[in-house]
Amino acid sequence: MKESLNILTRGLVQENPVTKMLLGLCPVLAVTTSAVNGLGMGLATTFVLLGSNMVISLTSKLIPDTVRIPSFVLIIATFVTIVDMLIKAFSPELNQSLGIFIPLIVVNCIILGRAEAFASRSGLWHSMLDAIGMGAGFTLSLLLLSSIREILGAGTIFNMPLVGEDASTILVFALPPGAFASLGAIIALMNALEKKKGAAA
Amino acid sequence: MTEYLLIIVSAVFVNNVVFARFLGICPYLGVSKKLDTALGMGFAVTFVMTISTAITYVLYYGILVPYKIEFMQTVMYILVIASLVQLVEIVLKKVSKSLYSALGIYLPLITTNCAILGVALLAIQEKYSLLLSVLFAFFSAVGFILAIVIFAGIRERLEDADIPKPFKNVPIGLISAAILSLAFMGFSGLVK
Amino acid sequence: MRPVIFLTLAALISAALLATVSDFTREPIAAAKAEMKRKAIEQIFPFEVESMKTVTKGKSVFYEVYDSKNALRGIAVEADTDKGYGGTIEILLGVSPEHRVIDYKVLSHLETPGLGDKIDKPKFRKQFHEKILEGPIWKVHKDGGFVDELTAATISSRAITDAVQNGLEQINEHYSNTAEQ
Repeated sequence: MKESLNILTRGLVQENPVTKMLLGLCPVLAVTTSAVNGLGMGLATTFVLLGSNMVISLTSKLIPDTVRIPSFVLIIATFVTIVDMLIKAFSPELNQSLGIFIPLIVVNCIILGRAEAFASRSGLWHSMLDAIGMGAGFTLSLLLLSSIREILGAGTIFNMPLVGEDASTILVFALPPGAFASLGAIIALMNALEKKKGAAA
Repeated sequence: MTEYLLIIVSAVFVNNVVFARFLGICPYLGVSKKLDTALGMGFAVTFVMTISTAITYVLYYGILVPYKIEFMQTVMYILVIASLVQLVEIVLKKVSKSLYSALGIYLPLITTNCAILGVALLAIQEKYSLLLSVLFAFFSAVGFILAIVIFAGIRERLEDADIPKPFKNVPIGLISAAILSLAFMGFSGLVK
Repeated sequence: MRPVIFLTLAALISAALLATVSDFTREPIAAAKAEMKRKAIEQIFPFEVESMKTVTKGKSVFYEVYDSKNALRGIAVEADTDKGYGGTIEILLGVSPEHRVIDYKVLSHLETPGLGDKIDKPKFRKQFHEKILEGPIWKVHKDGGFVDELTAATISSRAITDAVQNGLEQINEHYSNTAEQ
């Protein structure tokens, strides 16, 4: 029970895929111009992670070792295409703003990383918990970064205005440099907090 | 002619894969500690990116579109890239030992470099011709080399700088990237 | 040989699965696209849109909008320009049967967020209201035209002017003007 809980929660902070393991940074930087996009990307990735972790955990004994990675990639790509079609059908607005980064979930290193490091050598239940935990950690990071960028860059949050229409906002946060700088600051903050905690303990 | 020139300028500077399109961030942060490893990675990427874009282009219009199975695009592309990377590895090992020892270690990393898949997908999305796609892929890779080499140069200097502890390594790397991408924004508007 | 057989089998399963999902989502995707277009058109025209007809003439696609008495109330057309700061801008332009601009909606653009993307703001769009193709000078203020350019986004403003003009030209080419009859 304790082990299950640990698998579920470690992705949130101490093994957070973005701020701690620095995986999948491309979508993190690219789609976080608004909180809605960040949340959408996070959930889509979590779905793929859950699907691929489950299938890989169930089939890993059947997969010949020489084609392990191509097989994993094939499984991941299948789930990504399913998500792609579902988003196109049921949320065309999200499809427009996430664009090419939906198919690119395939090469998000988090997913292949979890398949290789965890799902291929763990049972179904633990693999599912791992996917949910890691997905939640990824979504959380995306949500944090995208909220910062949307509030400072556009003066809105979840598209709701926080300032008047003519108010000037700190544009650079909506642009690529703001993405790099905000993420750098967040990771530095996490490092600093962890050090403090380590020193206290 | 101007069309070709515009694509080149756009791929290298204006829509730089790293700074404007956010593709290939992992190798950009991962293997840019030294100038020569950065160059090695850059050349390996150029090679795979150009060839895979050409192959996927032909397969897309030759098989996926005529048989109306465009939904297999992502699956097929990533399999093409993965097998191409393995093929290149095998061929390099046989043909040139020196080239293999220079590029070999970067090749497995390239499969999960999203710039490769991203550029192949973008070429289709932009509705380029085959020639333009290959040109676009090659010069996107040049843009990647440019980004990674500039960054490696900065990083070698950062080694000696006195950086606050929490900012060491990746955070300062991201902040340098922010300043670099700010500089690259100066290129936007060159192509219109 | 086993690995190759395995991978082929896996690819076939994947293809079969995706074909099923693709079949299942084909209609919702088409419906979602149509719905987005419909929403865009309803936003452009300030009146109740009762029915809509899609007409393809030459290279242009027009959307004719009718009211409850089945009278033609407006025409929408997709227009684009490659003169944007970041590349191509696509708009949906709505005009009255007299070929007067009613409004437009930016469908896709690559302009700078916060500067060039203000081309979608009501304040900027309002300037084109009621304008016709012949007469006004279709240029920005700086170049001697009627369009007040956006601060720090002259190129984007020029591009929109070009796109709206392009849309009006398409309509003039394929529709007779009811005001002249």
